[in-house]
Amino acid sequence: MTSFDIVFGSFLVSALRSATPLVFVLVGETLVQRTGSINLGVEGQMLVGAMAGYGAAALWGDPWLGLVAGAGAGMLLSSVHGLLTLAARANQFASGLAVWMLGFGLSAYYGAGLVGRKIEGFGTWRGAGLDDVPVLGPIVAGMTPTVLLALVVAPAVAWWFWRTRTGLVWRAVGESPEAARAAGLRPIRVRLQAILLGGLLSGLGGAALSVDHTRTWAEGMTAGRGLVAVGLVIVARWNPWWVLPTALLFGGAEALALRLQTADAGVSAHLLLTLPYITSLAVLTLTCLRDRGQAAPAGLRAVMDR
Amino acid sequence: MSGGTVDRARAMAAPLGRPALAAAAFVVLAAVFFAVIGRNPLAMIGVVLEAAAGDSYAIGESLVRATPILLCALATALPARVGLISVGAEGQFYAGAIAGTGTVLSMLPTPGWTMLPLMLVTGALGGMVWSLVAGLLRTGLQVNETISTLLTNYVAALLVTWLVYGPWKNPASQGWPATVEFPAAARLPALFDSRVHAGLLIGIALAVVLHLVLTRTRWGLVLDVLRSNPRAGLVAGLDFRRNALIVMALGGALAGLAGIAETASIQGRLQSDIAGGAGFSGFLVAWLARNHCLRIIPLSLLVGALLASGDGLQMFAQVPSSVTLVIQGLLFVAVLLVNGWLDRKRPA
Repeated sequence: MTSFDIVFGSFLVSALRSATPLVFVLVGETLVQRTGSINLGVEGQMLVGAMAGYGAAALWGDPWLGLVAGAGAGMLLSSVHGLLTLAARANQFASGLAVWMLGFGLSAYYGAGLVGRKIEGFGTWRGAGLDDVPVLGPIVAGMTPTVLLALVVAPAVAWWFWRTRTGLVWRAVGESPEAARAAGLRPIRVRLQAILLGGLLSGLGGAALSVDHTRTWAEGMTAGRGLVAVGLVIVARWNPWWVLPTALLFGGAEALALRLQTADAGVSAHLLLTLPYITSLAVLTLTCLRDRGQAAPAGLRAVMDR
Repeated sequence: MSGGTVDRARAMAAPLGRPALAAAAFVVLAAVFFAVIGRNPLAMIGVVLEAAAGDSYAIGESLVRATPILLCALATALPARVGLISVGAEGQFYAGAIAGTGTVLSMLPTPGWTMLPLMLVTGALGGMVWSLVAGLLRTGLQVNETISTLLTNYVAALLVTWLVYGPWKNPASQGWPATVEFPAAARLPALFDSRVHAGLLIGIALAVVLHLVLTRTRWGLVLDVLRSNPRAGLVAGLDFRRNALIVMALGGALAGLAGIAETASIQGRLQSDIAGGAGFSGFLVAWLARNHCLRIIPLSLLVGALLASGDGLQMFAQVPSSVTLVIQGLLFVAVLLVNGWLDRKRPA
């Protein structure tokens, strides 16, 4: 095994681990936007997911229960967005921001007692005999269960979305709610299902962040990951197949920032931390430059272009 | 009574009924939340009122909180006049704080009377430049301005943190990351012997001027057409891009002004996290006011008071101040719920 393999392998592992929480959120938001909604509240849903997940893991000592609790909390909060946008027909951007504020406040309030608590996290497979397998060995050995879960969820959803009848229904609703209604489908119900599933996945992403990736809880700890996801859905061109590579862009930027920080490259850590946001905005800009907004589901374009 | 009179009476009552309905929904939601966390809702509402406006000190602190929110609300309302949803006031606030602080630091050994105006102007320019990034991305490349403003917010906040931990750190302040203290020449005059500063009056004056410009001039009409009927604007030869850039630039300048005024007059130095969500509260206020500049004045006072009551809640009721963040979110939800419900018949 060459030293290149080791450096590249360990970088890929850190990029994957950074990308993991984002993968869940990105998959969820892709489905939400595909059915014709946009939910900025994913940031708040991630926060309540991170807080509830960390709290559950601390209380019951089981990180798996943390993931379940986080997913549930995210879904619960997303129902507010569903209520506001679907039942009350409120503006989607404003509703998303309201959900974000609410999630930020609720997670800060209920999470106050969790600051500084320790939890039992997931382990990796290091030392399980995998490390000596060439190339892939060290990469797999450095993963945690949430990374593997993300690697399974993204393609599974992509397959479901493109290959099943329900997936077809969801796509139809996003392309033309009127035509879908005329064909006997129920666009509002589908959108609600997508928002709730998006809430579940963003809560799961938040829990993956606090329970597994950072193993801490701090107020506002998601630091814009949910908002980054809303932008990266466009970069992934509303296609669940593209979620993994797109999330890796953010994960790679974050891993690079951390790498440069520990390597003492002479650049301030705070400046390096801007890398993931700037990278996300840059790829978003490049995507918009290429597509000119034409790749969006037609039902969503009405919301985005106004 | 004829049907026409009833309709007219209903139409006249509607603008009054809307806020009342929203306020009722808000009180119910807040009461439910207090009950859920095991507090007596009535007692808590009493504590909030006491802490927000109980004495002259409380009123002063509420006005201090309201000042940046007022300017940030105007910074949100202005782009909204052409239909842009900018959530960038928080980042523009930081950019303004950085630019204005740069001016102060560069003039430091000999602060003269020019420091204050130069600081305010460069602060506004800083916010303007930051806002134009999102404005240019939107008008030139169709990048959604809501997403780009949200992402650049984080960059601006990190730039402040970088500066106060690094190049601009006051070497005498030991571990505390902040710039040196601003000289008295950089402070806006204080009002009524309190922490309230002239930025509040500037904000109110700007709200009135903007209201007049938007409602009484041809330009205000141009913006209305561009928002409500872009196609008609195109036919009439109105330039969306140019006007979008102008409102983004002006909005950014207002939030930048908020940033440098807060830095110089309240904090006295540049440090991390000074915006403290004022940009987002401003967004909420602009939405509550439906982007009406005069309505923004009382509503920013209301939200400022709500947030200022957090300190009192902590002190008198041993409730974490994060409760006010939840309450603020519930206020937003209540208003969206009521407005959305009343407007649901209109095409979305």
